[in-house]
Amino acid sequence: MGKEINSQALGEFYKGGRTRTHREWRGLKDTWYDYTRWLYIWKCMMKFMSKPQNIKGFFRYRWMLNYLSTLDFLDRHTEGLRGPQLRIAHKEFDMIVEHMIDSMTNLFSADQHIGGDPEKSKKMVLFDENMMTQIMNGFPNLMCVVPEIPPIYTSSTMAQDGILHYFDVAEEYGVPGDVCPMPAAELGVAIEDDYPKVGCCMVECNTTCDGSMMGNGIEARRFSLPTFQVAVPIRYTDEETKEYAAQEIRNAIKFIEDQTGEKFDWDAYFDRMKTFNGETECFREWLEVSKTDYPQVIGNNVALYRDAYYQVVGGRDRTFLENEQAICKLMYEAYDKKVPVVSEVRHRAILWGVQAQYYSAFPVWLQNCWGIVPLIDMLSLTSTDFYSENDKDQAMYDLADLYAKENMRNRSEGGLAVGVDDLWRFCEEFRADMVIMYEHTRCKSMTGYHGIFEDEARKHNVHLVWVTHGLMDPRIASRQDMRTEVNRYMRTVLQEEPIDPSLEEFDDSNAW
Amino acid sequence: MKDLQHLIFFENLLTEVNNDLVREGRDRGDVCVGTTCFQLPEVVYSLPGVFPVYLRAPRTGSIDMGTYYMTSMTCEFARALLERGLEGGYQFLDCLIAPAACSQMADCIENMERLNVNKKDDFFIQLVDAPMKNDDNAIRHMTNMCRRRILEPLHEKYGIDISDKALKKAVKIHNDVCKAINKIGEYRKEDNPRITGYEFAVICTATFAAPKDLILPYLKETVKELKTREPDEDYAKKYRARVLLCGSEIDDPAYIKDIEDAGANVVFDRYCFGSYPARIPIELNDEEDILFQICRQSVTTNQCPRYMDGATIDNRKKVIDTLAKEYKADGIIVEQMKFCNFWGYERAAMTNFLRDDYGWPVLSLDKPYVAGGQGQLRTRVQAFVESIEIKKINNK
Repeated sequence: MGKEINSQALGEFYKGGRTRTHREWRGLKDTWYDYTRWLYIWKCMMKFMSKPQNIKGFFRYRWMLNYLSTLDFLDRHTEGLRGPQLRIAHKEFDMIVEHMIDSMTNLFSADQHIGGDPEKSKKMVLFDENMMTQIMNGFPNLMCVVPEIPPIYTSSTMAQDGILHYFDVAEEYGVPGDVCPMPAAELGVAIEDDYPKVGCCMVECNTTCDGSMMGNGIEARRFSLPTFQVAVPIRYTDEETKEYAAQEIRNAIKFIEDQTGEKFDWDAYFDRMKTFNGETECFREWLEVSKTDYPQVIGNNVALYRDAYYQVVGGRDRTFLENEQAICKLMYEAYDKKVPVVSEVRHRAILWGVQAQYYSAFPVWLQNCWGIVPLIDMLSLTSTDFYSENDKDQAMYDLADLYAKENMRNRSEGGLAVGVDDLWRFCEEFRADMVIMYEHTRCKSMTGYHGIFEDEARKHNVHLVWVTHGLMDPRIASRQDMRTEVNRYMRTVLQEEPIDPSLEEFDDSNAW
Repeated sequence: MKDLQHLIFFENLLTEVNNDLVREGRDRGDVCVGTTCFQLPEVVYSLPGVFPVYLRAPRTGSIDMGTYYMTSMTCEFARALLERGLEGGYQFLDCLIAPAACSQMADCIENMERLNVNKKDDFFIQLVDAPMKNDDNAIRHMTNMCRRRILEPLHEKYGIDISDKALKKAVKIHNDVCKAINKIGEYRKEDNPRITGYEFAVICTATFAAPKDLILPYLKETVKELKTREPDEDYAKKYRARVLLCGSEIDDPAYIKDIEDAGANVVFDRYCFGSYPARIPIELNDEEDILFQICRQSVTTNQCPRYMDGATIDNRKKVIDTLAKEYKADGIIVEQMKFCNFWGYERAAMTNFLRDDYGWPVLSLDKPYVAGGQGQLRTRVQAFVESIEIKKINNK
């Protein structure tokens, strides 16, 4: 136990219960810092529960129970971290918690299920979870609401069994058990009428995948709102699709204007895209440092946060940019001091495929158990282009490009060039010798590349470690199953011993 | 009923992809385009000097290689095609042009390309982005993609005439085939149809597996033959219910035979490789661009669940309701290829909507690619037929 990384056997925290046995001792300075952040999150949560509308929401929606595990969620994602990595993690995850609290407070304040403000509800435009939201950058007087995030997306990361009920609802409706759990669960929420009832209209999208798009069709019927579907080209890298894609964006904007009576505000749009570009600039710096011998913003400290600001926030909240600039400062300070992110760098890895939502803390386990440095993940390797801050015509093409490069579909659609070939380019750029290959068994897109990945990994002389999972359904492959796949590879192929043997096998099957 | 004169011939055409008529077409120097799915208008690769063959994998056994490359959790149809390609079964093709319709089929095609399944020097693979909505933007996009990604490559690579005149000629032959198929299919409306669902499926599927001009004479003769064909007198004994079959890909009529053997006469086919909407004739006018008109027809009649706009989603159910009434169906069978994402959801939606909103008895099924001779299917269909009979008795 101490301030050094791996100074404590982290597996001993897990005794098969819902929570861990005790908090981690990280040395005086880091423990005190972590404790103050722990208190801060408590404060945020109590503030949230002090609002009557939020209490009503808490008792109206069964998925709200998942948020009781928020502190455990933070502990999971900061496990074993020290110094700058701990601070970067808190900057990111605490920000996400704050953002979620604001979003849910807004949502409940307008929710017609619990007597919310109908006028406020009319100012809300619902956006499909699996799509970029930057169109809303041009509607400063409207609120972009992504209804699926609180019940499903975030819930599934908070508690591993938090949304299983909704799969069952979807299956009972007739949806086959082999489809991706995410759209199925989202549909389950709709069937149970467990979405907050808000909004004047809805914009859906065919991202990220066929299943997601199909779930939307039935969901739209449940929402009973005027709905526009943005059809993003599947072969989006084909130049011939650009005009079609841009026209889809124009049509979506016109739909929102018609439904809300608001006009697209170009000044607001460009101002927010400037913020978005600023965030991209920070992200590029993170990537550059990750290519060096002393990476700083890695693994969990990229994945979920990048999802949030790139796709959901989309430049509309400047505090995210300020947060990222602060992270850059921490990163450079740590880099100058050559601060290591793990006690012993055994392998530099790229995480490819889609991560398991119920084990979003898996990268930190890779670090702590085996000294595998998860440099970057596929979902974060989206667009790093800068978009126009003054050209109205170009803006439509920019938006079309962004919509095509949504977190998941950026790689799952568009073909082998972006789904497979880019991986080896990234391995070279990041000097990675290992790929942690997430295989979401029910993803019908990426699994179709399985054999090609195998063939190409051999050609590129890269260790390809398959980690099978069920995205949001731990019954398909448990957290331990995921760990076991890595353990086996490390022991049998690479003949290595773990840095922290207590983490090789432990019982977290009942944990949040 | 007396056997149809050409039924065995049509059945034989389905036993392999490179069948007699395909070989005949290639022997006369035509370019053979392999394709999958019905998201692109068939006539754009049915120009003089070129003909399409919809990829199938008849008599599929093991799909181990397909499964290695695509895992066991993906569509068996896609895996079976990849397997057949790896076995060398598509060497006869001159090119492969397919829509990027579902991600699994797109993956299959990309695997074929990466694994170099065809060794011909001029062979090329083109995956074409196909629209997913029924609106003006989609039609323009379809027109552009057909021109730039199908017609122009065929012209540049093989010197195919892609003029309006050639397109019109392709539409003419396409319409002749459609009219023949529709005439044959119309007989299924009869109280005692003079053609079975199985026979119709064989004939209709064969039109996707051979050059149109070469199969047309056989279709015409069948139309003539059916005019005087006497229906079965024991129809009521053989079939206890009439059903409309809709859903995903069925390229093996044995599946329909199994359904009919269990007592349900398939009176209409609304599935991939079925006659609707693929065999709706294209009406051209002289004012608009020919290709645009062809693409408009393809977009506006599309019945695939990948079409995502709300109006089209609702319309798909209305279409089924209308056709089921028109063909005097007693119930509807909705099937999906196992692991098909589109039809997985659509099957659930159709089953609920057709039952709740339209009041139809619905049987919901999933199927593997190789589906013939399934005892389980027969049991399900028999139970469905009985439930329809009970409803009829109760209604009396």
